[in-house]
Amino acid sequence: MSESPGKSSRGVALRLSLACDLTEVRPAILAVRGFLTEQGLAEKDLTKCELALAEACNNAINHAADGTKSKAIEIEVICNAAKVELRVNDHTPGFDWPQRVQLPDSESERGRGLYLIQSLMDSSVYFRGAGENSLWMCKNRPSQTGSVTLPPANLEELNRRLAESEQIINDMAEELSSCYESLSAIFRFSAEQGKSISLENFSRHLLSDLLRITAADWFVLRLVPKEQSRLVVFTASEAGLVLEPLEVPLTADLARPVEVRSALNRQDIWFDQQKALEADDPLQRAKPDSLGLVHPFYFGDTLIGALTVGKTISRVPFSAAQTNVVHTFADFLAIQIVNARFQEERVNNLLVSRDLQIAKNIQRSLLMKTVPQLPGFGLAGYCESARQVGGDFYDAVKLSDHALLLIIADVMGKGIPAAMFAAILRSLLRALPELTNQPSELLSRVNRLLFDELSEVDMFITAQLVYVDIGKRRLITASAGHCPLLLAVRGEAEVKMLSPEGMPLGILPDTPFTDETAELPRNCRVLLYTDGLTEARNARGELFGLERLLEWLKETTTRPRKAEELKDELAAELAKFQVNTSLKDDQTFLIMAE
Amino acid sequence: MKIKVQILGDTLNIEGVKELSAANANSFRDQVRGALAERSKNIDVDLSQTLFLDSCGLGALISLHKTACTRNGTVRLLNPTPPVEQILELTRLHRVFEIVKK
Repeated sequence: MSESPGKSSRGVALRLSLACDLTEVRPAILAVRGFLTEQGLAEKDLTKCELALAEACNNAINHAADGTKSKAIEIEVICNAAKVELRVNDHTPGFDWPQRVQLPDSESERGRGLYLIQSLMDSSVYFRGAGENSLWMCKNRPSQTGSVTLPPANLEELNRRLAESEQIINDMAEELSSCYESLSAIFRFSAEQGKSISLENFSRHLLSDLLRITAADWFVLRLVPKEQSRLVVFTASEAGLVLEPLEVPLTADLARPVEVRSALNRQDIWFDQQKALEADDPLQRAKPDSLGLVHPFYFGDTLIGALTVGKTISRVPFSAAQTNVVHTFADFLAIQIVNARFQEERVNNLLVSRDLQIAKNIQRSLLMKTVPQLPGFGLAGYCESARQVGGDFYDAVKLSDHALLLIIADVMGKGIPAAMFAAILRSLLRALPELTNQPSELLSRVNRLLFDELSEVDMFITAQLVYVDIGKRRLITASAGHCPLLLAVRGEAEVKMLSPEGMPLGILPDTPFTDETAELPRNCRVLLYTDGLTEARNARGELFGLERLLEWLKETTTRPRKAEELKDELAAELAKFQVNTSLKDDQTFLIMAE
Repeated sequence: MKIKVQILGDTLNIEGVKELSAANANSFRDQVRGALAERSKNIDVDLSQTLFLDSCGLGALISLHKTACTRNGTVRLLNPTPPVEQILELTRLHRVFEIVKK
């Protein structure tokens, strides 16, 4: 590098040349900077000239063909009170200076040099010659009042520093004010959230503030509703922006609306006149020719939503400070939304457990505290609910001194509806005393009465009714798809299973039920149960099974036992079998013993 | 060029960048890429010492941004000096990079 300062007719001049080598550029530029500092150029103009010149030199070097690299590049700087002229001459084939210099795509690693030169300088002209090219750039200096002669160096230096400080203070003030605005808005809204305003109102207020702070005109906030893969407008700055929901596909696709693309790529997407939205983008149709940005927000790996903020009136793009404010607001909002959802879930869980508690209470109220007894016969009932839910119940209605109606039922379903149906069934059965000695007829009647309600909610009930007459020592039973009635007699090899035909209640409106009659020999045991018993599993996954139940029942006939004792024994058997497991289904039985 | 590289968890921290220009942009980019550990996702470039950044320097940062993106991370620019921040805004790259000021 060689330099030669001098006085030109147009001002003070500096000429220097450098070899066609990128490492030569920086020292040359620093020399120019030193020269311009001496000429009293303001710091911000120094920075601009420095960068524009560097870009010009880099271009010249990068466009040099192999044969022309030996030739030096010349820099000429002329400075007067009104302007700084910079000229770069090279001996390369040169390049075509585009008609309109545009900023390349933000992902591009090249092509910003000319844009920077044009943006930093007040004017620039490229002369392309044969084997020699010249780039001329000019930066106007702020006009100085009064004399054209330069003020004394110390005063000039002071002025320069003052201007510099002022610039820094302005920048800081802008930064501070946007920080302050964000913070105060967030504090205000945090306080407001404590009061029970809706999330929607909260978001709208917050985002309206955002528009004011960032000088934007409109916003659209889309959220992904729970268990959906759509971006649905949650709130917007105006009714016209409450646009149709957008499906979020599993993979990114170029032709998608900008909000979906931004969400899938997890990055901000900016749009303006140069990088306009697609013609069919819903935002383009609602707010044509806006500039703005889309910011998606996530909670971990879960997409929460996307915020779009746009300007239609002003053409000034968002500054870095404003962009920061948009991000801060969006992230704050995302946290509030996630919090609100957790809260909602907690309330829902509370409601569900309350629902279960109510169901349990209903079921408990159905089970009798004392079971009626017949002379010589004992009766005992057992009901253990899985979790808090229960659709099982048993009942025993004393009809006379010597007759009883035994009922056992299992409502398929859970929670309050199942408990309600159990309660209704129990009431209906008790309300039709004229049919108690015809169990099949009783089942037909309640089936017809309950059919519409049951089929409407896709529920059904299995039930077994037993009319016991100890005077005649016999029982009549009918079943609606329920487990068989077990009858064990001392001395008999087999336990009798009574399983008369019949569909569960709520399947068909008119379906026949049949009665089956059996004698009640001395020392017999009658067991009614629900399938929760035979389908109980132990820790190894084995079923309790019908065989085990039959074995147990048969064995009990060898010993004199009261019904209450048998109930405790079977309950203990079940508990022993299911040790270290959790109950999967209700387990209910009713046992009668002589 | 001499830069200070530090691995902090999944973030690669770069300090001591005085200039990022045509002369050193490629070597800077290659040095940073070479320093990435297997679990490095994010790249933090401290620009508080950076007095000069030109379009080639921007190119190197964008190239690192793409590298970070393929690792599901980001490039953060820490405390850029005023001239550097001005260039980022002028070229609208403040939209691509997260600019962190402390």
